[in-house]
Amino acid sequence: MARQGTTSNSGITRRELLLVGAVGAAIGTGLLAMPKRYFRMPQHASTFVTKVDHYQLDIAGSIKRGIQELGVSSKELKGKRILLKPNLVETASGAPHINTHPLVLRGAIEAFLSLGAATVAVAEGPGHRRDSLAVYEESGMADVLTEDHIQFHDINYMTGYELPNAGRQSSLRTLTFPELFKEMDWIVSVAKMKTHHIAGATLSMKNLFGVMPGIYYGWPKNVLHHAGIENSILDINATLKPDFAIVDGIMGMEGDGPIMGDPKKAGVLVMGRNFPAVDATCCRIMGIDPYQVSYLERADNWLGPISEKAIEQRGETIASVRTNFNLIETIPAHKGLRLA
Amino acid sequence: MSLARIVREKVSRRFLPEGGITHLPCGRFGTDATAWGILVYRAAGGEQEILEKHCARLIREQDKGGRLCVDKEHPDSYWPTAIAILAWQDSQRSDDARQKAVQFLLKATGVHSPRLANDPSGHDTSLKGWPWVAGTHSWIEPTALAVIALKATGHLQHDRVREGIRMMLDRQLPHGGWNYGNSVVFGRELRPMPESTGAALTGLAGQVEVEVVARSLDYLQGEVSGLRTPVSLGWALLGLAAWDMWPSNGFKLVERCLTNQSRYGEYDTSSFCLLLLGALAGDFKTMANGFSFSDINPSTTHIR
Repeated sequence: MARQGTTSNSGITRRELLLVGAVGAAIGTGLLAMPKRYFRMPQHASTFVTKVDHYQLDIAGSIKRGIQELGVSSKELKGKRILLKPNLVETASGAPHINTHPLVLRGAIEAFLSLGAATVAVAEGPGHRRDSLAVYEESGMADVLTEDHIQFHDINYMTGYELPNAGRQSSLRTLTFPELFKEMDWIVSVAKMKTHHIAGATLSMKNLFGVMPGIYYGWPKNVLHHAGIENSILDINATLKPDFAIVDGIMGMEGDGPIMGDPKKAGVLVMGRNFPAVDATCCRIMGIDPYQVSYLERADNWLGPISEKAIEQRGETIASVRTNFNLIETIPAHKGLRLA
Repeated sequence: MSLARIVREKVSRRFLPEGGITHLPCGRFGTDATAWGILVYRAAGGEQEILEKHCARLIREQDKGGRLCVDKEHPDSYWPTAIAILAWQDSQRSDDARQKAVQFLLKATGVHSPRLANDPSGHDTSLKGWPWVAGTHSWIEPTALAVIALKATGHLQHDRVREGIRMMLDRQLPHGGWNYGNSVVFGRELRPMPESTGAALTGLAGQVEVEVVARSLDYLQGEVSGLRTPVSLGWALLGLAAWDMWPSNGFKLVERCLTNQSRYGEYDTSSFCLLLLGALAGDFKTMANGFSFSDINPSTTHIR
């Protein structure tokens, strides 16, 4: 008796084959729709959280302990030229929480030098003000660094060198970094713990917008905005491959960050070698779900892990220091950010 | 020694023998540094013949389309074009280059879009000014510089200049002053910045009634005595001079700012020259040095 369907050599009817094909296509489509992170090899990283109640405490000691707890040996740092990149955006009286506190920077300088670094330099290219020197001075950074005999470099006016865009998230084919970076062994992001009205949160990864010279990227760094803020964060991090992150959450910013928000005391410093892991930890401390912060979700298991399970937590537990940062419902980037 | 002579001496130390002016006291050639240097040297009474070599260097840096960029490897960073137009103003040998640059500037716009109801920005995103870098939005300082340059070359009535003026007025902060170019975001008024305010006031001088910018002048007058850095103070002095409000303590402020170099090292040429231009604005006014800075004819070389 003839069978209705055409049978293949394996004995499967054409109808069954089509069905299998349709199911396969459906699975395939579903797979395509799944976030890329599900197809990546799991990564692991460590972060260090330490309580620092206020800026007059021993910040250098806290940072030094963090560096050591994270397995960075003196041998690794010996003779190295370290570049610290703080977060200096703009200044306003009564709003020191916009920028990385100068005493955190001083603490980082002391810590790296005491662990054997040959030199420490500080460089920043503020995104809003053309007058970098004014931000440097008005933020109080100049007083501290002058006293410590540490040179400040204004990245905004530095000649740049191009690197191919290793992240390929935006349409930018190359990224232009300051020539100074060629003379540095370690790039350290000394960021501020803040909410952000476009990116959700600004931490160690977003802080690196400031390494792109204003003479090529503008004031604000609008080239990066047009390329997509999230895309650009990922591209810069993937291309620069920074070495260490320190986030100043002693006094952070909640609400309408990164400049108009309110001060929020988290009383912590967060550190790590892996930037997505550090930022994911910061998010959890802020009561923000890192998987809802687009650039972190996209970085997961590519530039680093953001899953709590994949991050070995040293120092304080997240639960012991978590303090929810205020989010604003009318700001689209804040919707759905709250960590359950 | 007169301020003008001091300015000439200090700036000429940064002249390169082959033409052009260095970005730092002993550094590389800088396009914007050269343009600012020519402007201030001329404003200080320097001879045009001395400047021709530096004007010629700028011509060599100009691309076929008329733009001048930060460096030739970054053709999108064309913001020095407007300053170069001003630098070439009194150089007959630079006429063609200046005309090409003007034509480039008249065609160049930032990226703009119709104003949307749910846009987080409070300003009119459709108004065209000039960007820092090609392919991006218009911002205050490059727009102010372009308006100043185009006014100086006789294009005051051009649609682009009129729209640039409207764009700057649209970005004025509700409580006075300007910042880089965002007035209100997500319903919050942002903070003003002295350098942006000074640039906008310089660009708008003579084009709008004083009442329109009164709150910005108030802001800048309140800020100027606290300014200690060359970009902020330079633009603030120029902006106030353009409205006949150069401060009585202006020279002391300039002196204090120059003294600050003992802390920070010598200023980069562009910042340094901007500060000196701001100082000369007061010098010309108070020393009756042949003319009042605020009365400078737009067709001359000076910033106004």
